[in-house]
Amino acid sequence: MELEKTIRLLKEGKHLSEERVYDICLKSQELLITEGNVTHVDTPVTICGDIHGQLHDLLTLFEKSGGVEKTRYVFLGDFVDRGFYSLESFLLLLCYKIRYPDRITLIRGNHETRQITKVYGFYDEVMRKYGNSNVWRYCCEVFDYLSLGAIINNRIFCVHGGLSPDVSTINEIKAIDRKQEVPHEGAMCDLLWSDPDDVDKWSLSPRGAGFLFGSNEVEEFLHTNGFELIARAHQLVMEGYKEMFDGGLVTVWSAPNYCYRCGNVAAVLKIDDQLERNYTIFDAVQPQDGVGNAIIPTKQPQMDYFL
Amino acid sequence: MADRDVEKSLKRTVRPGINTIEITAARELHARTVNARNPRNERAMQTTTTTTTMAKSSASFFKEPIPRHVCNSANNPPCKHCGRMIIPSPVATYPLEDNPSISINNWTITSRKRPILNSEELEDWETNKLSGLGALPEMIFGNNYISIKNVEKNWSIDFRALDALSMVNLEDSGIRVSYSKDWINSKLKTTAKEVHEDDLFEISSESLNIVKNYDWTYSTEYKGTVINYNDNDVIDFKTDNDLVLPIDKLSKPDQILFFDDMILFEDELADNGISILNVKIRVMNERLLLLSRFFLRVDDVIVRVYDTRIYVEFDENKVIREFKQYESEYNDLMANQKRVLAHSRDPKALLRDSNWVVEHIPLVKRQCEVIQF
Repeated sequence: MELEKTIRLLKEGKHLSEERVYDICLKSQELLITEGNVTHVDTPVTICGDIHGQLHDLLTLFEKSGGVEKTRYVFLGDFVDRGFYSLESFLLLLCYKIRYPDRITLIRGNHETRQITKVYGFYDEVMRKYGNSNVWRYCCEVFDYLSLGAIINNRIFCVHGGLSPDVSTINEIKAIDRKQEVPHEGAMCDLLWSDPDDVDKWSLSPRGAGFLFGSNEVEEFLHTNGFELIARAHQLVMEGYKEMFDGGLVTVWSAPNYCYRCGNVAAVLKIDDQLERNYTIFDAVQPQDGVGNAIIPTKQPQMDYFL
Repeated sequence: MADRDVEKSLKRTVRPGINTIEITAARELHARTVNARNPRNERAMQTTTTTTTMAKSSASFFKEPIPRHVCNSANNPPCKHCGRMIIPSPVATYPLEDNPSISINNWTITSRKRPILNSEELEDWETNKLSGLGALPEMIFGNNYISIKNVEKNWSIDFRALDALSMVNLEDSGIRVSYSKDWINSKLKTTAKEVHEDDLFEISSESLNIVKNYDWTYSTEYKGTVINYNDNDVIDFKTDNDLVLPIDKLSKPDQILFFDDMILFEDELADNGISILNVKIRVMNERLLLLSRFFLRVDDVIVRVYDTRIYVEFDENKVIREFKQYESEYNDLMANQKRVLAHSRDPKALLRDSNWVVEHIPLVKRQCEVIQF
């Protein structure tokens, strides 16, 4: 079957024709357009954080967490940029989505935008691999249809970044017109960008844009909506995950040895039917195989006569 | 099976895509690694990469220096002199642990590379060591360092992330991301509307206050940490701004015995640019050069480069430290380099390259200091 073949090629990091990519993007859009801004998902489910184009580590993720044939997944966004295989990673997730629609939920991250991918690697990668930007454009079209959040068993809220002062109930997220480039301000932007911090109330980031929220905001949001946990990604964590605010919020990070140089481990969070949390930790793929062939590029210092 | 696929893809070199480009690059990388481990190959590589005109005149440059260094790290692959090569071992990419060291005369140079700080360390830095900073950089290589030590005088200059971040200003930097005004204005508008329509909705313009003020660009004028291990014999730099670094000596392609390049901290400023502190060092038979570079780019707002160079001439026991500050408005740089940037396929790529940026923005301040042991 054509789709199975495509999945196999993607897993091997092989080149796909522009037409094939177009086809995958179109099919995924048709699927995604039927989903709401917030998708409802049942347990058991595995929550995954940022991937950032680390294809080999994404394959490890599936291997360590049961695989898409047997497990349901929620991905919290940031599939692309920074790693060397953004395209293959994103397309593989889309192919799985087409093949097993009810087993993969994809949430939009702040990197799933035209503007950010132009600066942080995905656009360059497509130009390098295809010599033109068509494939990048097809993918950006898909980005606009990704959902903004997911709710597991009506108890766990999944989002890429965090909360927004403009959002106190889920209905307010449902009212957003999501099918657009992520705007620079407003609820949609906050959900993808904001960070938890040790603050007493909503506060402005010193950068002059973007919100920080603290335990009070988390408590209020959980209480208002009858939730017990906010699962988000967006921030690098050395240990792969970090719980904050008495376990009311967790950051999940799924890109091990981030940017091929941070030396961190990665994690995914499995939620079982009793809503118990089980973290699976995994390491980055070794840069070389048993006989010394490089599997992934390494950031070794290049000796130079700098002045 | 996989190997056969690789062979196939190598033959189809014309075809664009990941097979050819990435795998060829990977193979080259591997070949370099293997070559680097073999001292004979290393010499062969050096001559082949030199241009022919260079090769003729460079006979004296490549004259075998009298070996006098000592390798202090046992895990490195062989070098022709003392059975060890000192360039940080190519196998140590993961788990990113390596602690190479070399000694020449009274000088010992050591470096260490470790992963980013773990949560425990990070919390300690956040709550104790750097409590003034609202948020720390996303990636802190807090256990990395480069140290240049004079063993006889028990003096050293080290480069470490903690000391660099301690120098970050704890006041408002005045710098805002380019769309800050629009962002705040739009919030003020929605606030006014929401409060009017729905009393339950509590967002006062108070939430648009910055609670913690600090320089979120992490700009640091860090010039290294001077350590006097003998309290009663304190040696420090003396300012002499007339001094210049001996570029002629440093331009000679003397064999590099020790090289390292590391990041101390890095933050992408929530995708508004980059703030990065990078240190690199090369040690030759007679001298060493270290460059510590802080590079800041806030897209559409500002670019900054702070360079600290440490130069040691081993036989003279002299250390020179040069500090240079470069800065420009982002738009000024764009306007000055309009033609170059317009012809570039990806103009943003140039702006990501600190080497290109530093050559095209004005020098704001220069300072030079010296120690004669």
